[in-house]
Amino acid sequence: MSTAARDPWHHRIARPLRLRHRLLLGALTGFGLIAVARLVDFWFRAEHVASPVLFAVLSIAFWYGVSRIVLSWVAYTRVRRPEHVAAPDGLRVAIFTTSSPGEPLAMFEKTLAACARIDYPHTTYLLDDTRDPRFRECAERHGAVWLELVGLPGAKAGKINGALARVTEDFVLVLDPDHIPFPEFLGRVLGQFDDPRVGFVQVAQAYYNQPRSFVARGAAEQTYAFYGPVQMGLHGIGSAVAIGANCTFRRTALESIGGHGVGLAEDLVTSIRLHAAGWRSVYVPEVVSRGLVPEDLGSFYKQQLKWARGVYEVAFSELPRLFRRLTGWQRLTYLTIGTYYLFGVTAALFLVFPYLYLWTGILPAAMLFQRFLVDAVPVAASGVVMYMVAQQWLAHPAIERGTHWRGLVLKFASWPVFLAGTLLAVGRAEIPYIPTAKEAQRGRFLRLAWPQLLLFAVYAGTVARVIVVRLYETGEGALQLSSQAVWGMVGFATLPVILAAGAVYAAWQSRHPAPGNPWDAIDVTGIGGEA
Amino acid sequence: MKRRHRVLVAVAVVVGSIAAVLLLTSLGTSTRGPLSGLIERIGAGVGAIEYAARRTLSRTGGRAAQLAAFAPYRTDADRLRRPDRVLLGAYESGLPATLEGVGELEGALGVPLPLIHFYAAWGDKPEQQFPLRIVRAIWDYGSVPMVTWEPWLSDFENTLHPDLPLRAVRERQGMRAVADGTYDFYINRWAAAAAAFGKPLLVRFGHEMNDGYRYPWGPQNNAREDYVAAWQHVVDRFRAVGATNVLWVWSPHVAYEGWQSYYPGDAYVDWTATGALNYGPIAQWSEWWTFAEIFGSRYAALEAFGKPVMVAEFGSLAVGGDRAQWYRDALATLPVDYPAVRALLFFEVGRDRTVTYQELDWTVRTDSAIAQVIGAAVGPWAPGVRRP
Repeated sequence: MSTAARDPWHHRIARPLRLRHRLLLGALTGFGLIAVARLVDFWFRAEHVASPVLFAVLSIAFWYGVSRIVLSWVAYTRVRRPEHVAAPDGLRVAIFTTSSPGEPLAMFEKTLAACARIDYPHTTYLLDDTRDPRFRECAERHGAVWLELVGLPGAKAGKINGALARVTEDFVLVLDPDHIPFPEFLGRVLGQFDDPRVGFVQVAQAYYNQPRSFVARGAAEQTYAFYGPVQMGLHGIGSAVAIGANCTFRRTALESIGGHGVGLAEDLVTSIRLHAAGWRSVYVPEVVSRGLVPEDLGSFYKQQLKWARGVYEVAFSELPRLFRRLTGWQRLTYLTIGTYYLFGVTAALFLVFPYLYLWTGILPAAMLFQRFLVDAVPVAASGVVMYMVAQQWLAHPAIERGTHWRGLVLKFASWPVFLAGTLLAVGRAEIPYIPTAKEAQRGRFLRLAWPQLLLFAVYAGTVARVIVVRLYETGEGALQLSSQAVWGMVGFATLPVILAAGAVYAAWQSRHPAPGNPWDAIDVTGIGGEA
Repeated sequence: MKRRHRVLVAVAVVVGSIAAVLLLTSLGTSTRGPLSGLIERIGAGVGAIEYAARRTLSRTGGRAAQLAAFAPYRTDADRLRRPDRVLLGAYESGLPATLEGVGELEGALGVPLPLIHFYAAWGDKPEQQFPLRIVRAIWDYGSVPMVTWEPWLSDFENTLHPDLPLRAVRERQGMRAVADGTYDFYINRWAAAAAAFGKPLLVRFGHEMNDGYRYPWGPQNNAREDYVAAWQHVVDRFRAVGATNVLWVWSPHVAYEGWQSYYPGDAYVDWTATGALNYGPIAQWSEWWTFAEIFGSRYAALEAFGKPVMVAEFGSLAVGGDRAQWYRDALATLPVDYPAVRALLFFEVGRDRTVTYQELDWTVRTDSAIAQVIGAAVGPWAPGVRRP
């Protein structure tokens, strides 16, 4: 791959979809659905129920995972890329970016300088509550309007609503301060508002600091498919969501729902309310800005906890309230996103089951493993093939393509955080709003890695016990005929340990953040344009 | 999307789905081989390593070492065709999950059990393929395995074998179909696996073939000559793949007249056998019969075939008579009264529901008085064998 193709600082567009792509995706989905039907037919047989309650629990955990794979296929079959519409002259556009105490000024220098270079006429506003005069100086030096918004409830969203009351522009781009926009940003999205029913336009979220650590790579990998084929698929079913950052809103749309939503997942809350109010959304699968992804494990965990708690709020509060006003696809979309963090629960169950068997002999399901594999392998293969095929529609395939194994490791490592977020949400416990860290935090190894280290200890103790019991205690007549079941279960217990090793590495690396700040080397005069 | 494109997408989904169905069904048969086979091999490898480690650590060398006197039968199929003593054995209902129950029975009786018996059905399921794991575990445990091999023809799926008759009508003249080679796809695979196992293995194929009420391979569905032809065909298939380690146990139900006419011929049989189970008054068709009444009256006819004779399922229930006396009577002079009997296999089943609607308990290891009676009677039959 040439370096030009991998240059992150150029404008990128996901490739268009041809008929043959649709045929391929349709055929693969058909194959996958049949494989799933076979697996359903195999799984739910009375003879497989070893312990009714545990079998139900295992089934729910297992089929939760399968259903999410199937939903991704459904999205892939509906992938759609909107036609580009040239932005008409004369729209009145504001860019809002926010600063909070503790955020690094140097980062704002880059962001605001880049905002000034956006070629569609606009006004940039810095929504500031740092009480630090240097932020005002910085804004004014780059031609941005400084708005002091101190003491408003609702954190970032509160500031956005406060600013909306003070400015008059018809369109507002809410730009996260770590995101350095390319000059073509507004020109690529504003034309979509020609359709008066469109309430917001979301663009891809891309990053520039992922090479700086294992965590950054993994965290970025987790988002690639979402900001490529998944959101394009959601666009295809009229459900593209405002999530993450860099969403451009129509003022009247925001006003129709009483302003930007407030909460830990404020983008998603705003998104569901706009959809419920009948506004359409557009997803533009283009890289027109790049921002930061957490570089250290502690920051990543904090971000995930915040999102987990916030996203559940959409599932628990917004979705039931707005359910009747959403389309079927939108209901499914928000339900799917709102239950993403249930992975914390299912991962915990999958962790526990092998140990339950190895210590007590209790099995939830009586299945022949070979027989299970015969029906499960086609489903897994469909999932992998579909994931790889869909990578054609990543926003910037040259740097985003891959197996994304680091993303998988990091997702698995996060299960305690997901679980905590789930429990906090069920218990309606509040957690404070913290902006995702922009600078890597030096992490204490044990504080971050203890769940994984605990797993290692439990695993080692269990394997040692199994060896001793089988060499000295198990009857000779039982030994050989039980070896497959026991060692197969040890194998199941080993998979999470391998994944946990990756997380321990991430925690170890987080002890020493990468030197310097990621934005130091960026020259905003050289970004944007076609590769 | 234009309408033309939508129609094309719809057609593609339909065609893709049909192709997928065909591919998946064909995958079903082909993956079962390599995929399950690989796991089976890995599993067997792990089991063997573990077993070897255990034997190295064990001071006594394990059960196989204790049954050293029986080793010649365990390694030499020809010797097993002409045994010079009565070989004891058992089916214990913990099988095929564990051999622990067999070990417990040996402990209770105080005698070793060189033959270990279990049941396996024909069919597509993984547990209906050649039971390599089980026969290997039995052999490593120091015994010779005997499989009662039951041709349940309706256990083959029509989706996997479109050429087979529909399941509902398949049992009718099923033995004719076996003889004609319809089921060679299954027999050949099983035979090849048995040959690869390589150690002596007793196979009791299609037992009680003359009972018209019990199994689908009986006379209600099949002519005698078809059963005989099926037997000969099966044995020929095994011989064709070199499975000379397999011994053939022909086992009619001798309470029904005319069973001799099901005999497949001297060249096709290594052992003759029958069951001898005393149900007592529990079943309508039964009363308390002694071993001499059940077995003794037909012994001469069995012996006449000139093969070693096996009592393949041996036992008495407790209700309706003196159970201890039943075993005492049966075993006291058995080697003298029935000199051709060279194998006696206990039927150690705790919850038998195959014949009546109630659960029947045939176990003897749970009744120490009975176990002592049996142990005292059969103990002297196994000279030179250290007690486990």
